[in-house]
Amino acid sequence: MQTTNLQVRKRIATLFFLFTIVFLLLGTRIFWVQFVRGAELSEKALQNRMRDIPVEAKRGIIYDRNGQELAISISADSVYAIPAEVVSSEEARAIAAKLAAILDGDENNLYDRITRNSSFEWVKRQIQPEQAQQIKEADLPGIGLTEESRRFYPKNTLASHILGISGVDNTGLEGVDFYYNDLVGGTKGRIVVEHDAANRPIPEATHKYIPPVDGANLVLTIDETIQYITERELDKVFKERQAKSAAAIVMDPDTGEILALTSRPTYDPNNYQEYPAQNRRNYAINDAFEPGSTMKIATAAMAMEEKIVGPFSQFYCPGHIKVGKETIRCSGGTAHGNQTFAEIVEKSCNVGFVQVGLDLGLEKYYKYLHAFGFGKTTGIDLPGEAEGIIVPESRAMQIDLATMSFGQANAVTAMQLMAAVGAVANEGQLMQPHLVQQVIDKDGQVIKKYEPKTVRQVVSADTARELCSILEGEVTNGTGKNAYMPGYRAAGKTGTAQKIAPTGGYMANEYVASFIGFAPADDPRLVCIVVVDAPQGYPYYGGWVAAPVFKAIMEDSLRYLDVPQREEIDSTSPPTPEKVQVLVPDVVNLPLAEALSTIKERGLSAKVTGEGNIVWQQTPKAKTKIDLNSEVIIYLSPFEQNGENTEVTIPDLQGKSMKEVAKILADLGLHLLPEGFGLAYEQTPAAGKVVTSGSNIRVKFQPVGE
Amino acid sequence: MRLRKGPPDFILFITTLLLVGIGLIMVFSSSAVTSNIRYDDAYLFFRKQLQWAVIGLICMLVVMKLNYLRIKDLAIPLMIFTLLCLVLVVTPLGIEAKGATRSLGVGFLQFTPSELAKLAMAMFLARVMEVNLDRMRSFTQGILPILVLIALVCGLIMLQPDLGTSFAIAGTAFFMMMAAGARGSHLGLIALSGAGVVAAAIAVAPYRMERFIAFLNPWKFPTDEGFQTIQSLYALGSGGLFGMGLGRSRQKFFYLPEQHTDFIFAILGEELGFLGAFLVISLFLLFAWRGFRIALNAPDTFGSLLATGLTTMIVFQAAINIAVVSGALPVTGITLPFISYGGSSLLFTLIAVGFLLNISRYSTYR
Repeated sequence: MQTTNLQVRKRIATLFFLFTIVFLLLGTRIFWVQFVRGAELSEKALQNRMRDIPVEAKRGIIYDRNGQELAISISADSVYAIPAEVVSSEEARAIAAKLAAILDGDENNLYDRITRNSSFEWVKRQIQPEQAQQIKEADLPGIGLTEESRRFYPKNTLASHILGISGVDNTGLEGVDFYYNDLVGGTKGRIVVEHDAANRPIPEATHKYIPPVDGANLVLTIDETIQYITERELDKVFKERQAKSAAAIVMDPDTGEILALTSRPTYDPNNYQEYPAQNRRNYAINDAFEPGSTMKIATAAMAMEEKIVGPFSQFYCPGHIKVGKETIRCSGGTAHGNQTFAEIVEKSCNVGFVQVGLDLGLEKYYKYLHAFGFGKTTGIDLPGEAEGIIVPESRAMQIDLATMSFGQANAVTAMQLMAAVGAVANEGQLMQPHLVQQVIDKDGQVIKKYEPKTVRQVVSADTARELCSILEGEVTNGTGKNAYMPGYRAAGKTGTAQKIAPTGGYMANEYVASFIGFAPADDPRLVCIVVVDAPQGYPYYGGWVAAPVFKAIMEDSLRYLDVPQREEIDSTSPPTPEKVQVLVPDVVNLPLAEALSTIKERGLSAKVTGEGNIVWQQTPKAKTKIDLNSEVIIYLSPFEQNGENTEVTIPDLQGKSMKEVAKILADLGLHLLPEGFGLAYEQTPAAGKVVTSGSNIRVKFQPVGE
Repeated sequence: MRLRKGPPDFILFITTLLLVGIGLIMVFSSSAVTSNIRYDDAYLFFRKQLQWAVIGLICMLVVMKLNYLRIKDLAIPLMIFTLLCLVLVVTPLGIEAKGATRSLGVGFLQFTPSELAKLAMAMFLARVMEVNLDRMRSFTQGILPILVLIALVCGLIMLQPDLGTSFAIAGTAFFMMMAAGARGSHLGLIALSGAGVVAAAIAVAPYRMERFIAFLNPWKFPTDEGFQTIQSLYALGSGGLFGMGLGRSRQKFFYLPEQHTDFIFAILGEELGFLGAFLVISLFLLFAWRGFRIALNAPDTFGSLLATGLTTMIVFQAAINIAVVSGALPVTGITLPFISYGGSSLLFTLIAVGFLLNISRYSTYR
């Protein structure tokens, strides 16, 4: 018997049908979540519940090239807390008090930390062994010890800028420790335990122990002894001259291996927090400066490679040169007069180099600038290397070319300059400077070897060799005299550059003094650059500040490396028969005939250039030791070519500036041989003497107030 | 009218017992960890739920034995009592918990009037619709009075506030109107405006808005709004086919909030796997089948509509809850009938089953 409405019955059937579909859809949805996405979701869920306790890997040892340990890893215990366990022990206060007593910390601070709402907290890292022992004995609930490793630098400040620092969580923060972190750092291990949302371990929890992998060891190209010598010498000048910063690098030009690299100010990586952060700045690679005359080496190489000049090309320096609207002067306004290319290098004549640069032209200059690697990082394996700044080629004018030629306008790093000059010392091949020789595992097996890398041939081997001998002359006769070593033939170049003020323009009293060079000149074993930023006191010239440092580093290092010394001629040692050396006589200002006979008497031959009767200049200079039967070049005075061989009386030059003196003498047809800087105080011949025009007048200058 | 009295629907009875049994086990399993740590008593929630289950089953049997012809007469007084309680709950007499005022009473004798409202509404609407059956196709005479009533009851419940229960009541009423023969066009219009009301409710309260946005992309808010949904999916996903084993849920360790109430189905899926989840879905489908069968075979229109309303009320909530747990609907706050922890909910659900069993005893189909 049907008593209910048919319409209602139909609708009820529809409802049942509707809900059947709904439940089937829900079943499908559940199936999709549990099966299709099940693996992914359960993995995520597990990750969500896992809590890590890190297990640090030991960082690899850093050795010098001879296996001396420069940075090692020592184990230290670190205290951690599992806050949930501390809280559930209900002794958090007492635990904090005990920890405070053992670790010498603030109790409230520790209490906050060990009761923090997290799964894992470090209480104190890398504690002393006695403290660790006490904590072990105290056996506090929720407090545990884990072994961590910490860097120790047995040589303290030695090579600090190379080694860098590594942080408390055992990652390299600076230096090779940072650069090679992936290799040296190893892989962290972990203890993973499943926890509830309030960070308590779950019963039947999933546990995993992933052991750490210790880091690989690095063998540097650094030689600890040379590094020590370099640091000792740089330190001396840095302190004596109260410089702002300083850097020195020693490199093997044949391989690009850096044997020593140091910057000042420095710091002890064992407790670097006690030093100002800027002490960690590696001046040798992180900062660029205007190189000044050291850059002339590059300009010279370019010009010689392009056959624009040879060693005996003639230049005339009136003390200044006009480029466009600008006038460029030689330092102190010195007029170098007539000189060979070799001499403009020796005297570091700006005017001469401007001429060379302009002859080269912008296009070629930039081609070589890039070839030498300026404006780009050298690729040295240290972090934060600066690129330097070079005037963009598209914007470069003639005046830029002129100033670049003698080392202004562009800024370079000591490392770039080092690599570029290294190319000159290495027969024109630019090598990539590098600090790491090889990576070895803990059994000494080589994992990775870094072979010397040639970047490119910048100039020909002939050009490079020729330039080497010119640069040797710079040390023997030129501005780099203070780098002269009796035992070794050194070649190099000084540089003194005014610093650019932050506001633009040059600063009046701040200079960067530098010297770069190599030795022995005929077969360079070491290249060394010394840069001193803002030395105090006078003289601030590279030849006075940096060259002696170069000399000291090179002398000791070459001896240490057993590089044979050249044979020395002096009164105490008898001359060897096949190679007798004699002193060059002084023939300047002598009549030509007398000069020739004097030279012959010494067993030397003479080569005469120019026309006239009076000797104006000679190469080599008087008192230079040269081999018997060598040639002495005699230059005759250009003034005599006009037949104005008149007699003139020498005026009193006392108290006049070099510029004034040069003008007065030039008007009289006399040559100025200046010595020193400042105002004239002594002259030979004396005032009132009568000489023939074209003679040389030696004038000594000294700075005012000294 | 004399009616032939037969045995109650045995399958519905067994289905109910199974669901209640599964519920008790799951309440214990899912709540033990948290209640142990929070209240130092792993059995706290289980014991309370067991007490209510016993009381509920007794009430169910009592209701089953009532004289069918007298049930109709209960509808109006029960409705008046319910409205009174709903008003009282929003006065200072109401007991506040978790930011909402939903209960009345003291000590153990607490109850949630909105749970009673579900039952009272089903009975009252069945009564009204039986009388107005011929006018159900008319909007003004049939539908509108019902809508006014729904608005009144739901409005009172929204004062607590409790969107989930309002939604369940409105949904049940909607399906009852459908069963009572309302026009399709009217139903469509109501559904549309209902959606509008829900949208407005979402737009008005920031926390509902957040839940809704999080529903659209829970992974974008893994730590705040999307947290529940994600943790729920983690639990279900970890279950696989056979589950992690009874009592071995990981997500119940404070990861999944409301793990013994709104999200108990997720823990069930984690511990018992797809097989467990599928079993529960099947039991609800079975329940729907028996419930609607009772409605079809009811001795009169009132019984038919009441059975429809009660069955719909239970399975509709189940469907919504499972959809929320599996991330198919935004979080609503609707519990899973029989299984979720909650005394009043279980009590009134079992009383509803009692009415269904009562009606089944007078079934016209043998």
